[in-house]
Amino acid sequence: MAASVLLACGLNEQKLPGFVHISEESNVDGSFLISCILGQRLRISNAGTLLVCLQNHYQHYFNAGMRLGYNSNIFLGKTFNVIDVLSDMARHGLSSKWLRSPDGLTLTEQLVKDIREQLEKNYPNRSSYTILIDNLSILINLGASKQQVQQFCLDLADLAKAHDNLTVITKLSNSDIHPLTDNIFFKLGNVRIQVLRLKSGVFREVDGKLLIERVLDDEGSYSCEQTRKEVLYKVNDRNVKIFNLFLIGVKV
Amino acid sequence: MLSNLIVTNQKVVLIIDQLNRDRIALKFITSLLSEQGEGNDIKALPIGTQLKHVASFEALLRDCANNANNQQTNPTDPITTKTGYNVILPTLADLLCYQTPAFIFDYLNKLRQSEHVRRVFLWASPMHLQHPDADYILAGCEYLAELVLRLETDSTLSLISRKPGGGVTNKRYKCQVSKTEFQVKPLTEGADTTTSPATTIQETPDNASDPGRTFKIELDEDEVVARNALTLPYERTSEAEDGNIIYTPDANDDFDEEDPDEDLLI
Repeated sequence: MAASVLLACGLNEQKLPGFVHISEESNVDGSFLISCILGQRLRISNAGTLLVCLQNHYQHYFNAGMRLGYNSNIFLGKTFNVIDVLSDMARHGLSSKWLRSPDGLTLTEQLVKDIREQLEKNYPNRSSYTILIDNLSILINLGASKQQVQQFCLDLADLAKAHDNLTVITKLSNSDIHPLTDNIFFKLGNVRIQVLRLKSGVFREVDGKLLIERVLDDEGSYSCEQTRKEVLYKVNDRNVKIFNLFLIGVKV
Repeated sequence: MLSNLIVTNQKVVLIIDQLNRDRIALKFITSLLSEQGEGNDIKALPIGTQLKHVASFEALLRDCANNANNQQTNPTDPITTKTGYNVILPTLADLLCYQTPAFIFDYLNKLRQSEHVRRVFLWASPMHLQHPDADYILAGCEYLAELVLRLETDSTLSLISRKPGGGVTNKRYKCQVSKTEFQVKPLTEGADTTTSPATTIQETPDNASDPGRTFKIELDEDEVVARNALTLPYERTSEAEDGNIIYTPDANDDFDEEDPDEDLLI
């Protein structure tokens, strides 16, 4: 269902890079990538996954997963855990801990604290662990400054460095509005997947373009080698299709 | 080699990278120092969340001082021939993430004044600076720096050098970068007009082809290194002691043996 897109992004393997950043241009939706990655991680036996829901509540990811062919509820509480910020805010309103800053912690500090707690509880029992954060722009919308979001990501990058087989996957929407923030997040890891709209306009057969940038590990002292790969994608009801560039066109 | 131009007597070195290569900053500077045989005298601040603790910054200064003192008491150590350490700071973007500009400038100044610090390296990528006053902060760092290396494109760079005597040079170079080597060559006037920014001053005329000039005034790479390494007599400020006046009496001096203030009853 989603194997081709993960293969194109190089995220189909059991061991993922330490920090992966997905940047989403304005007017395109890259949420399908989060659902695809989540499905792939859940299928690996004994691999732990933590989903931080900021853009959509958990029910959305469950529904998306059912369409892509996996039931996330089976894994919930076992290998799969969720920090559902949105649902918590909807349930508790202004008294939600994400809005009233208990213990003097900011939103991002509170989030880091909760992620660390989950990690301490679940990481030792798992062969690998993946933290998915969807998405960082919502933190800015909820009042966090860009500096706080940067500190948040640095904290996560430190976690990824400190733990073997721990992968942090972040997503930032409207990356064209926050290019500096986007660059900083790319610097923290070796892989960035840019979800771009078609420059030529809307096209029925294709939804957009994925630009996959990967910095090679054996980078030198004075230059770093980087690979770039572009593919087109189309999100269907139950799968995501990938096309190589120039393989699709308008027939007149 | 680029290291010949960067590892000189100038103490504060700012590298402005317009190519988004923050991730290799530490390796880049370490390689420059290693090429000049100074790879063992490096101190670097921890990166990441450690930068939020002011104690990490103070610890580095203390560490430099302690190690320098230990090395002075150990005459077998080869480092005694050169004083102090090369300090590599985290990138400006990382520093600004946790510390205020005032703190960064103050710390930079402390490092500059420390006798246990031989050189300070700071890397700044404008593409990674999201502080609202990033332009002013970068300008402030340029003001403090004695050597400003600007990596403009994959093939060109500029170097502003401020001498202790007050002289300033601004030169542009062509560069050839591989994974392990960074070769530079002075950029001849008009050779690459498309990539040269309007604000920089070209000071590398090709005099060899100009028969109208009497003297050879341009310097090649080795001459620049030799010139930068030379400490002129008026720059030897550290050798002065207490400001004592040493007076050698002359045979014709007319000394008055009596106290001229005798009548004042002091």
